[in-house]
Amino acid sequence: MTLLKIDTVTAGYGVGPDILKGISLEMEKGKSYCIIGPNGAGKSTLLRVICGLLHPRTGKVMFKGENISKLRTDEILQRGICFVPQDFSLFPDMTVKENLRMGGYIMSDRKEVERRIGEVFEMFPILEQKSRDLAKTLSGGQQQMLAIGRSLILQPEVIMLDEPSLGLAPIVVQQIFKSIDRLKDAGMTIIMVEQNAKKGLEFAEWGCVLDLGVNRFEGPSETILYDPRIQELYLGKIQREHIDD
Amino acid sequence: MTDMALIIQLLFIGVSLGGVYALMGSGLTIVFGVMRIVNIAHAALMMVASYVTYFAYIRIGMDPILSIFLTIPLMYFVGVITYKVFFSRLSKGIRYGELTVLLTFSIALIVEGLLGYFFTNTYRSTSPTYSTSAFLFGELFLPKGQFYATILSIVLIAALWAFLRYTRIGNAIRATMQNPTAAQVVGVNIEKASVVAFGIGLALGGAAGSLSTYMFPFYPGKHWEWIGILLSLIVLGGMGSLLGALVGAMLLAVTATFVSHYFGPTWSAVTFFLALFLILLFRPEGLFGKKMEVK
Repeated sequence: MTLLKIDTVTAGYGVGPDILKGISLEMEKGKSYCIIGPNGAGKSTLLRVICGLLHPRTGKVMFKGENISKLRTDEILQRGICFVPQDFSLFPDMTVKENLRMGGYIMSDRKEVERRIGEVFEMFPILEQKSRDLAKTLSGGQQQMLAIGRSLILQPEVIMLDEPSLGLAPIVVQQIFKSIDRLKDAGMTIIMVEQNAKKGLEFAEWGCVLDLGVNRFEGPSETILYDPRIQELYLGKIQREHIDD
Repeated sequence: MTDMALIIQLLFIGVSLGGVYALMGSGLTIVFGVMRIVNIAHAALMMVASYVTYFAYIRIGMDPILSIFLTIPLMYFVGVITYKVFFSRLSKGIRYGELTVLLTFSIALIVEGLLGYFFTNTYRSTSPTYSTSAFLFGELFLPKGQFYATILSIVLIAALWAFLRYTRIGNAIRATMQNPTAAQVVGVNIEKASVVAFGIGLALGGAAGSLSTYMFPFYPGKHWEWIGILLSLIVLGGMGSLLGALVGAMLLAVTATFVSHYFGPTWSAVTFFLALFLILLFRPEGLFGKKMEVK
């Protein structure tokens, strides 16, 4: 069943040129997607459009048959789409617990928020240990866990992650991907933009290659990962990594 | 008076001025913190509250301290309207920072012009009994008016702090100050948080406008002196930091009092601008501010 449909969307910032140039994509419930592509391809812009931080200039974004292109971010959150931006986007001068509480900002049942914070603590025990520490004092990996944990407070249907491995040590990246794996197993739809294309494609079931604001190619992740044309065009880095391996 | 007694006396006066400066500065800093608006019109709108207080005092004998119950809601309302009319539409545009400076500058000029037109450029002040009496401690004295104003200012700043910390909209404002993108991502309606923050900023300015009427005689153009002082103290404290506004205000008020005593009152104004100059040179993010990102 199609959950999210991006229909010939163009979008850009301010009076600048279009970054997305008529992109179309369909995403199904419970599947995981990895969007790859060179810098400036529009990967992050696409996520920003889906979650309402940026409105499309033309085209539309449909979620469960409803046009959400004109909605504000808080209205899109209410419908069950959460976004974890690049560089974690935490509230640096709030404690870990306060950050998690902010994750439930749109919920009126405060008791339920506290209960779900408990669930996040079960998933990431380190956050419970550090619950009274200010977010800015956490390590990069802990900050990423907190950002993911915060988005889980709403128990969203779709979670979008912008470069979850950016700037993290390999061992921490392993941990982060392990926790995202659990979300996948729990049936959540996951859309991930990942610079570390190999890692992202190994994780996701479906891959999309974006270039210059359009969807150049999509298919099952392994097809993309091992398609020689794609490797040559977009995954030069991956080939090298394979050799390194 | 012994040297020690003199130092304590000057501290008394400095701190009791600092509270009011802090109240004025906290409104300015919260508006900057949430919306990145350097509100040059903050002190001009504060003057509006001063005139309201003055006429309430002259016409119906209303106590200037009590009139904060009039000016706080009034200026909150003025803030909400001002934000919705002028700033809402700018917020998504380009060159937002530059435009808001020009816009608030022109609002300051318009307010000053209107006040001058209606109330002339004569100096005004209120003179409740406590404005001319003092608490005496041996050879030391503490002016009652300044003392009351500072206590009230600190109470108001504490109330603001509690509001930001314990209410839902307060948390939304705090979140927006710390990271606007993250705030949006968790569902904060930035527009609503901005409207409330702008209203609160001016409401604090309104209270300060009322309290200042019996300490500092005013006329429409007085706001230029104030905005210079206020900008220097919030830059010192770190723009957008409430604690910074309080500490910056206390530090500068005390320093200015000492400078005024030892070098003459003419030099006390220089304290603020010298501090502004030095802080921009050596620690532009201020004492409690975050380093600005250049985008």
